[in-house]
Amino acid sequence: MRTDAPPVPAGGVASATPNRSGTPPRRRSPALRKAFPYLLLAPAMIYLLVITLYPGLFAIYQSLFVVKFVNWTWTGFGNYALILKDREFWAALGNTALIGGISLAVQTVIALAIAYFAYRDPLIRGWRIVFLMPMLFMPSAVAFIWKLAFNDGRVISDLLIRLGLTGGNVDWLASVWLARMELIVADVWQWTPFLFIIFVAALQGQDQEIEEAARLDGASWPKIFWNISLPMMRPVIVVAVTLRGIDITTMFTNVFVMTQGTPGGATETMSYFIYRQGFRMFNFGYASAASVLMLVLTIIIAQTVVKRAFHSGKK
Amino acid sequence: MATARKSRGESLLLRYLVLGGWALVCLLPILWFLSIGFRPRTEVITPQPIYWPTFSLDAWHLLVSDWPIAQYLRNSVIAVVGSVIIDLILAIPAAYALSRYEFKGREDIGFYILSTRMMAPAIVAVPIFFLFKTMGLLDSVWALMLIYAAINLSLVTWIIRSYMLDIPKELEDAARTDGAGDLTILREIIVPACLPGIITAAVIAAIFAINEFLFTLLIASTSNAYTMSVALANFTGGSDGIIYNAIALVSFIAFVPILILVILIQKHLSRGLTMGAVKG
Repeated sequence: MRTDAPPVPAGGVASATPNRSGTPPRRRSPALRKAFPYLLLAPAMIYLLVITLYPGLFAIYQSLFVVKFVNWTWTGFGNYALILKDREFWAALGNTALIGGISLAVQTVIALAIAYFAYRDPLIRGWRIVFLMPMLFMPSAVAFIWKLAFNDGRVISDLLIRLGLTGGNVDWLASVWLARMELIVADVWQWTPFLFIIFVAALQGQDQEIEEAARLDGASWPKIFWNISLPMMRPVIVVAVTLRGIDITTMFTNVFVMTQGTPGGATETMSYFIYRQGFRMFNFGYASAASVLMLVLTIIIAQTVVKRAFHSGKK
Repeated sequence: MATARKSRGESLLLRYLVLGGWALVCLLPILWFLSIGFRPRTEVITPQPIYWPTFSLDAWHLLVSDWPIAQYLRNSVIAVVGSVIIDLILAIPAAYALSRYEFKGREDIGFYILSTRMMAPAIVAVPIFFLFKTMGLLDSVWALMLIYAAINLSLVTWIIRSYMLDIPKELEDAARTDGAGDLTILREIIVPACLPGIITAAVIAAIFAINEFLFTLLIASTSNAYTMSVALANFTGGSDGIIYNAIALVSFIAFVPILILVILIQKHLSRGLTMGAVKG
């Protein structure tokens, strides 16, 4: 599967000249040589520090004030004291974990199943394009597709009525769990392809002979999948699910377009909570405090889960 | 042999049921949404959904006459292309350092770059908003360009780094003994050799930039800076309610070029999406 091997221009070059690796003939001061990789990294690092460290520090600073437009009033840890008692904050945290967790589990299972059935299929190229399509729509467009299908166009209700599964129109946004389900359906529909693409590549890259041998021994496909394919894919699954998991925790667009947090905040995610506090209610200090708490959480997750996932994924 | 064939036959039926079923799940909403884009507004929101609408170019006429759609498209293109160029200029040297040099703090710097990808946009939204406000950059495509570049820099660096790690060391050693300097080697050997990686990174960065919603929503407030992604949300404003057929049409206008780009880099997609961690 490694079709991306770099083209080696003039394969003879390497052997034609004596190989004196590690002894560059260029005259360059040792100090500059030592600093060189840092100089290469400097522009990117400065850019990232400005765009992450500066906002981080700004958020910490602003979180210590009550901000009313141009008036900043010092409050110390007042915002944090309020936020830790704010039921909406904890609800947003819980909703993010709940909606994200269910959605992630569902799309992982679907992606594994379709990847397992598709990767050896002669039509794999076709399946891949078809299964990929939902991911290629702008997230805001996908949110509108499902908003129309569930709420405004009543298509889902209509289909359910035709199937005899429900008596009348379902008001999806009136029920806590139906509203959450809307968000989950939209997220699963759009992002299962992300996991699918990665899982298929992993399955195609694995050693086919072990599986073939097991099949000749008469092992059934669920057994082969469970005992051979799944363990071999483990590092890949960890990386892919981690990346997807990180993105799910930032869920905003669907909430903004489809539910706006209704009913009663049952679909408000952390991102939407920060947005609402900052840009709807103009409690910028309060929003910054929430940002700082979310940042701390992100750093903890990054240092534990992600670091490990990417180290196991490299091998 | 008999049992093997039997178990294969069973799973074949199951296989096409599963794959066919999911293909329908993927395609039906898309086809239905396409039909929304080509029907009159009166047939979009009705007491009973209409599955076989009358064909109409209403949405198209509305887009052309009432909305500066060309302006949105232009904003998207400038911001996205600009951000990808910034990313490549910053990421190629950084990836070169991370993949080719031994130095103190290499792992930590690499991980720091990776971790910026994990930051939720909402966390930095408030500070970034104030930053651009003081810089006088609110409602401008340049602000969007800078922000898209920042969002994607980690991803672009890691993808290119992964492809650079694959280049055999002998290649540059040979050039080095011929007297080539480090930057010459980067330009003449490394960059051409990892071109597939650079293209993959650029395409994936472009897609994420086109999709970006939250920052664009905060920074853009008029058609000066509205992109395709946020222009969609704009169609909801006003007394007309949500103009779904126009939204559908704009969605497909953005969908087609993305589809073409992705088909071009199909083989590299899984590697790109995992930032190089999974080599597909």
